[in-house]
Amino acid sequence: MRRAQARLGIALAAPLVALMVVFFAVPVLSAVYYSFVAYDGITAAPAFVGLANYTRMLTDAQVWHGLGNNAIWIVLGTATPLVIGLGIALLLWGVRAGSRFYRLAVFFPYVMPGVAIGITWGWIYDPINGWLNTVLGAVGLGALGTGWLGNPSTALFAVLATAIWAATGFVMLIFLSALQNVDVELLDAARLDRANTVQRIWHVVLPQIMPVILMVTTVTLVGGFSVFDIVFIMTGGGPDGASEVLGTIAFTNAFQLNEISYGTTIAMFITALSIPAAIAINRLQRRLADQGMGR
Amino acid sequence: MSTPPAATPGMTPGMTPGMTPGTTPGQTSATSAMSATSTAASAAPSATATTEGALLLASGSAGGSARALGASGGGPGSRAEGSSPNRTSRRARTTRLSRHALLLVLSLLWLAPVVLIVSTALKTDRDVTVNPFGLFTTFSLGNLQAAWVGGGFDGYLLNSILLSVPSTALVLVLSTCAGYAFARLPFPGRGLAFALVVMGLLVPFFTYMIPLYFQLRSMGLLDTLVGVDLVLTLGSVPFGAFFMRAFFTDLPTELEHAARVDGCSEWQIFTKVMLPLVRPGIAALGVFTFLQTWNNFLVPLLYLPGGSYRPLTTGLFQFVSGRQLDIGPLAAATLITIIPVVVVFLVMQRQVAEGFISGSVKG
Repeated sequence: MRRAQARLGIALAAPLVALMVVFFAVPVLSAVYYSFVAYDGITAAPAFVGLANYTRMLTDAQVWHGLGNNAIWIVLGTATPLVIGLGIALLLWGVRAGSRFYRLAVFFPYVMPGVAIGITWGWIYDPINGWLNTVLGAVGLGALGTGWLGNPSTALFAVLATAIWAATGFVMLIFLSALQNVDVELLDAARLDRANTVQRIWHVVLPQIMPVILMVTTVTLVGGFSVFDIVFIMTGGGPDGASEVLGTIAFTNAFQLNEISYGTTIAMFITALSIPAAIAINRLQRRLADQGMGR
Repeated sequence: MSTPPAATPGMTPGMTPGMTPGTTPGQTSATSAMSATSTAASAAPSATATTEGALLLASGSAGGSARALGASGGGPGSRAEGSSPNRTSRRARTTRLSRHALLLVLSLLWLAPVVLIVSTALKTDRDVTVNPFGLFTTFSLGNLQAAWVGGGFDGYLLNSILLSVPSTALVLVLSTCAGYAFARLPFPGRGLAFALVVMGLLVPFFTYMIPLYFQLRSMGLLDTLVGVDLVLTLGSVPFGAFFMRAFFTDLPTELEHAARVDGCSEWQIFTKVMLPLVRPGIAALGVFTFLQTWNNFLVPLLYLPGGSYRPLTTGLFQFVSGRQLDIGPLAAATLITIIPVVVVFLVMQRQVAEGFISGSVKG
């Protein structure tokens, strides 16, 4: 029986392992190799350059600028959906009529393709006819209107706002499912003790869903290091590099400037930043599972 | 995993108040499809709820997630209404109304861009020129036709299908098989193989996307449907195997023993006994993977540079860079791209919610 199990086990796992070795393990190892040579995509035996790519990266102002943008992205892009998503989840909590519509409406953007999101928001940010400037004009703030994506000082934030809009529904969904586990007896007890809504949320609800808050924070945080699609689609890192992030810098170097090795090195940097955070998530989730989600 | 004990208490407070007295006939009919599926899921918590929980959000999150998107769950509000009918009824009603007003405004704010797509896509050309982003007052299918025929979106749609359907099918087969092996079949090298899967979850695509380009090129797979299907499969399969493994781990061992006593072979135990029990998991994984591959932008952008197999996402991107000013057909093209997503999203709500909630493990 044991041998039969082992045979079937190998047969069932082999296709997946083969696929992962060929298309994952090998290119990961190549990536490490690429970062130590000067590969241009053509030369068969590129020269070994040691840490040259890494030292170049650490002295590259563009990389630091990109890292700074990633930092902004991580802080605002984590905190804002968290606050709004939690707010909407709390509003929705216990609402029956129409709640399905609300949930679907807020969650839908999360499953939309990034290109569609980018195009639509590009129209909203349009300097002349865009809804944003129109609305600002209508409420007497027309002076604030600008070409949101074309203005170096607003481009990153305009893209970030779009990403926040798209991510909020996901955060809301996670919190809604966490709220289902909140102890309603405790909440009733607090109500009897004449705790007001804010006090009940702050002292009774939030502590109970704290582990989930932590987890959502880490998940969105990790994503912030490897953000690429939405920035690439909406601004391409521009104008004049203003909204560049590490992901777009790595892409541009490798696929547009033919700096294969340098692009790979920046990608290794993204890896080095995001893996520790990803491991932290894993730990956190295991702890959550052990505690039965902080109850 | 230590989830089962917590799963039951975790689900009850949310479930009972909302489900028993609170469920009005009207609501039941409105959410009929959803309620049916979600009760089915919670009726068999050992299979779905606990596995999901173990995976990510811990106990009860599967039932919770199902309700989070679909059927309306109970909460403190519904309770309060029931407990104090007369005294605070007027105040309760105003709070409820303002809450609904606020939610409605927020929902519209979140739906506005979608409305913008639909409205712009269905306007006449002249209306688009005069008032490009105003809500439509005219109606025409001209833009859709322009995108479909002139923009080549009929071909892009076919390519999208050819990229996401085979890779989703492959992800389901590979993940289910490997997940079962990891969960229930001790074999030499299992620890190592599973470590590879975990690495696949942790290492971002960015790390190896550049070398993978040159590797595909030397294998003759660059700019081919097969190559990109395999890369898309690779992108989703570590999570899939992880996800299915959790499902299989939670199935009771007694089933296996009983089947063995009945003379089933190991293969029959897998296909006849175990596989039918994880069907909800396969469905959630399938929907999740389909949306992921359908929406994927970077993989076809990198590995289909020739343009003959361009899917909707990169086709749309190409379309934007080509003609910035052709807003009508562009909106129509965007509409074509999101319609399949909308359909899957609306029809398979529960699976979407489940998939995405557990999918966040991917980081």
